[in-house]
Amino acid sequence: MGNLPESLIKARELGYHYVGDGENIYPALKGINLDVRRGEYLAVIGPNGSGKTTLLKLFNALLDPSEGEVLVEGISTVEHDKIPMIRQICGMIFQNPDNQLVATTVEEDIAFGLENLNIPSAEIRQRVVEVARRLRLDKLLLHPPHQLSGGEKQRVAIAGILAMRPRCILMDEPTAMLDPAGSKEVLQTVSDLHKNEGIAIVHITHFPEEAVFADRVAVVNNGCLVKEGSPEVILTDLKLLHEFGLIGTPAVELAALLRNDGFKIPNETLHNRELVRALCSFRPIN
Amino acid sequence: MFIQTDKLTHIYMQGTPFAAEALSDISFSLAKGRVALLLGPSGSGKSTLIQHLNGLLKPTSGQVYFNGNPVGGSKAELLKLRRRIGLVFQMPEEQFFSESVYDEVAFAPRNLGLADRELDHRVERALARVGLEPALFTKRHPFHLSSGQKRLVALAAVLSLEPEVLILDEPTAGLDPAGRRRLYTLLDDLNKKEGLTLLIATHHFDEAVALAEQVLVLYKGKLAMDGSRNKIFSNREELVKLGLALPPITEIMHDLADSGLPVNRDIYTLEEARTEINNLKGSGKNES
Repeated sequence: MGNLPESLIKARELGYHYVGDGENIYPALKGINLDVRRGEYLAVIGPNGSGKTTLLKLFNALLDPSEGEVLVEGISTVEHDKIPMIRQICGMIFQNPDNQLVATTVEEDIAFGLENLNIPSAEIRQRVVEVARRLRLDKLLLHPPHQLSGGEKQRVAIAGILAMRPRCILMDEPTAMLDPAGSKEVLQTVSDLHKNEGIAIVHITHFPEEAVFADRVAVVNNGCLVKEGSPEVILTDLKLLHEFGLIGTPAVELAALLRNDGFKIPNETLHNRELVRALCSFRPIN
Repeated sequence: MFIQTDKLTHIYMQGTPFAAEALSDISFSLAKGRVALLLGPSGSGKSTLIQHLNGLLKPTSGQVYFNGNPVGGSKAELLKLRRRIGLVFQMPEEQFFSESVYDEVAFAPRNLGLADRELDHRVERALARVGLEPALFTKRHPFHLSSGQKRLVALAAVLSLEPEVLILDEPTAGLDPAGRRRLYTLLDDLNKKEGLTLLIATHHFDEAVALAEQVLVLYKGKLAMDGSRNKIFSNREELVKLGLALPPITEIMHDLADSGLPVNRDIYTLEEARTEINNLKGSGKNES
């Protein structure tokens, strides 16, 4: 890694406020200290309006901090002449796949970001083909994006980012509009990129079953970073999750109820298979 | 039957090289006061079917009936139909255009030519029905509300026409767990206390399934499954083939039953699962 900073993204005392009607100021984020480490998969959970999306936009230099700073590979996001570089390092995927595809064919859409980076056309061509092969989009290159399924559209958006050779992908509820097959397709793709290529992922989600795949989970509420830790710790802490209007996976929720009824179920139970195993060996305590 | 389709077929761009059959030979019925789930992968025809049920599309062949009468005919009749069958689109707040919550909710009933006082009454009643205190919300700018509140205002804007049926397309997309619970509690009340008939199209049916009595599954434009909730969710393999999964709690019960525990599989909520698993204590099996 040479002398690169240890953290890919560093947020220091980060704050942001929106200005509403008149002089009213709405604080969206306050005093956030959070690092995204190289190659880590970080899930961010929190209720609607907690500031998750604002945080992601600050990471990507879509917003300038009101307080504190964000450093991406050591570059402050307020250095506006470096924004293309920041966005090349950290690409962003949005909730609605239809709002982020711009070109008339998949090929042109994947190439869009590269064209804006002034990369020679021969190299653009080569990178598009290579990325399409990696994400199994090669057969769709000449299709218009609007004819694709939701999952395919999100993968095209990911391909467009991947072609820029990023170190991090930021995702804002990327499966909210997708069917179960499409969601699986996108999450598998991202998980492969994380595992096989060491790309860091920051994934905002409302679904605890998606956060389970992360290395680390951060909880945001009312503009503040409330807690962070491993999925086994955060996603099994129902007191914490319920306090902020969040929920655990069905297995975690059911395990908690059954423990109260005298069933012995390990505290770190996150998945169905662990719950089923515990219940199958159940002996009543009395 | 309240809502019924008979061999409904829809072909987009018929007669061109781009012709695509979106719905093929769909026949189903939904009784008054029922709650039905409409499931199926993206592109299976859910949105097309929904648009037929309140006359936004005309069938290529076949017929839709509401309350025994064929849907279609004059513009006036279609408008009357759309007052009785309310449609809540996906991400409805993206279509907000008013400067105040009042105007947003009043838009549809205002077009009915109601007097001001009656209009006020409609708006207040609609907001109250979705749990938003009218005095606190009518003057607010819809864009400045939280995501959950925006969704409730969008629902109130449809309820202000006082429909008998609500058809909802992915009603909880983008909402957090608390927002999802609030919306489904509300829909349950509208159904149980006020008798509204509900048809809910969704991919994330964890919460919706607790309300549903009937389940319809579309696959590639065809009605692949139609039946009671228990009947549809007893067939895990078939659902997986159609790109769907069991509701998460039901899945746990299937896993337990498949592992040999004597539990009922037709379970859809946490509390039902808790009760069912507690019954194991007295069953003798697995006891020392």
